Amino acid sequence: MSYFFQLVVSGIVVGSIYALAALGFVLIYKSSKVLNIAHGQIIAAGAFIAYALTGMVGIPIYISFFLSMVITFFLAMSVERIFLRRLIGEPIISVIMVTIGLMSILDGLIFLTPFGSVNFSFPRFLPRTLISFGGVSISWTQLVGVIVTAVMIIGFSWFFKKSTVGISMRAVSDDQFASMSVGISVPRVFGLAWATAGLSAAAAGGIIGNITGLNFETLQAFGITVFPVVILGGLDSILGAVVAGIIMGIIQQFASGYLDGNWGLNGTAEVLPYIILLIILLFKPHGLFGIHEIERV
Amino acid sequence: MSTNRWLATGNYFTSYQDEQRIFFTHLDRTILSLFLFLLFAWPMLVTLSNKYMLVLDNILIAMVAIIGLNIVTGFAGLISIGHAAFVGIGAYTLASFSRTLGDSHVIITHAWPLMIVLSGLMGAVFGAIVGLPAMRLKHLYLAIATLSFQMIFSWTINFLEFFNQGQTIPISRVYWFTGKLGRDEHYLFWYYVLLVVVVLSGFMVRNLLRTRFGRCLSAVRDNDRAADAMGMHPGLTKVYAFGLAGFFAGVAGALHAYVYRGVGFESFTLHHSITYLAMAIVGGLGTLSGSFWGPTAIIALELQVETLVEHASQILPSDWNLATALKPFSFGLVIVLFLMFEPRGIANWWRIVRSYTKLWPFRY
Repeated sequence: MSYFFQLVVSGIVVGSIYALAALGFVLIYKSSKVLNIAHGQIIAAGAFIAYALTGMVGIPIYISFFLSMVITFFLAMSVERIFLRRLIGEPIISVIMVTIGLMSILDGLIFLTPFGSVNFSFPRFLPRTLISFGGVSISWTQLVGVIVTAVMIIGFSWFFKKSTVGISMRAVSDDQFASMSVGISVPRVFGLAWATAGLSAAAAGGIIGNITGLNFETLQAFGITVFPVVILGGLDSILGAVVAGIIMGIIQQFASGYLDGNWGLNGTAEVLPYIILLIILLFKPHGLFGIHEIERV
Repeated sequence: MSTNRWLATGNYFTSYQDEQRIFFTHLDRTILSLFLFLLFAWPMLVTLSNKYMLVLDNILIAMVAIIGLNIVTGFAGLISIGHAAFVGIGAYTLASFSRTLGDSHVIITHAWPLMIVLSGLMGAVFGAIVGLPAMRLKHLYLAIATLSFQMIFSWTINFLEFFNQGQTIPISRVYWFTGKLGRDEHYLFWYYVLLVVVVLSGFMVRNLLRTRFGRCLSAVRDNDRAADAMGMHPGLTKVYAFGLAGFFAGVAGALHAYVYRGVGFESFTLHHSITYLAMAIVGGLGTLSGSFWGPTAIIALELQVETLVEHASQILPSDWNLATALKPFSFGLVIVLFLMFEPRGIANWWRIVRSYTKLWPFRY
């Protein structure tokens, strides 16, 4: 039974990272209806910036995490400014394809740096000991990761519910023309959405980098795994992203804990989310918490 | 068929049949026939090294695949981020025959046209299955469905022992009337086969767009509600579009397997899907001629990048990973720049040139 609980706990750890990664994705989708396919690359960029600041420049690690969030904030904002601002009003299909192109560009840029091919890992700054209770153990890194994720998600929810900027972002996602008529600058909101997404991506990148080490493949794979999570949770719901992230994390852990090794299966955790994704698309496309605005065609 | 489109100042169609013609003028037909004749005839005069023949074969394979991608992304307006997986389905249909019957079984070496069609049909079946969510959903969700199909495909190939876990599965050289193909004739032979396939599929698509189904496709892309009101079935149309795209992809996959004499997992990854998208965008989405321009341009770019990398790696320190970096970078840049500045692709340049000759010597 403790094996079961161990899987649940590590599922929650993985899931909360998914939730944080999905958060940035949902932020962009909510305000501008763009699927950001390059999100995994932004996550990777955030993690690598943090490492470069601490491991190569020598800035203390906490400050470098903070700085990487700030840098990624402006990076994502300038990505929006340079590539996507001109496409406002173009069909959404070409905007999505621009993000596919962006994914390729960022891939290329990251491969130019040593991070594309060499694995690094953050210096350890948390105790190595495992915390265990009742046969279930969790490392400090994981625990801190979950706590940071929880704090960030609560912070973002508050930001969306209460702050003026957050409310204007929700207004834009609801109706662009109406929000323009009450004086909200729609392009600025899009820029902010990308910037906050970049910030959360950098945080996610930092946490993943601490838990799994800095491997470009792993980091950018999170950007693709985010799709099943957001589809399960409903594309435009922050709560959905959190719940679905944790569900997906637990499913993956169960898959690798119970399915792998039996019946000759192996690596099912990689494929199961996508199978679930296809099934959800067929039967409940708006996900658990999404708005039922899907038109049947 | 009278007015010369290069000089006439407007359309002088008097009936719908006129407008639906494949060739508008005798000149058009003559030029195309001459061009095709040249394409078939040049290998008799010039011999290219195997390396460049392979490049030509690659371009032609990509053309077949892009004709399919253009049906689904260009004409029907649905993004497919998993086109390489459909190509892979075709290749692995052939590979599964090779695994069960042996790589030089009669059915693979002698009945290869049959195998190519069969792979196409297999691709069509999988295309239709992945397109099934189209019955209920719009394009955003379909893009995700194709992406997840790509991931499931990769996993299945890498996991199953039957598919050699993604390692190369050999396919032997085929037989022609003159006997088994030699090492030197191999690429030339497939150049001719591919050329025939490309011409056939080009005419197929051109004709398809004149039928009810082809007009359904663009109607659904432009306004699905209006299309529904006109009595078309948007969901089914999209599923058909995916099926057709899968067919062309499957054919391309089988041809790829034959040309490379083997099937390996690394030719059908997400990166290839993105390359296919780049080809379709650069060529011009929703145009038939774009399906020919795009692969040519992108593969030429790829060659240029490779030469650049070769030159650069002599100057730069060796730990710089230029080769892996520059390819995705240049493809991404090309996608983004074309979408930002020339969303209608190279095919549009052709149109601009033609309208220029029409108006010359006047500006407008």
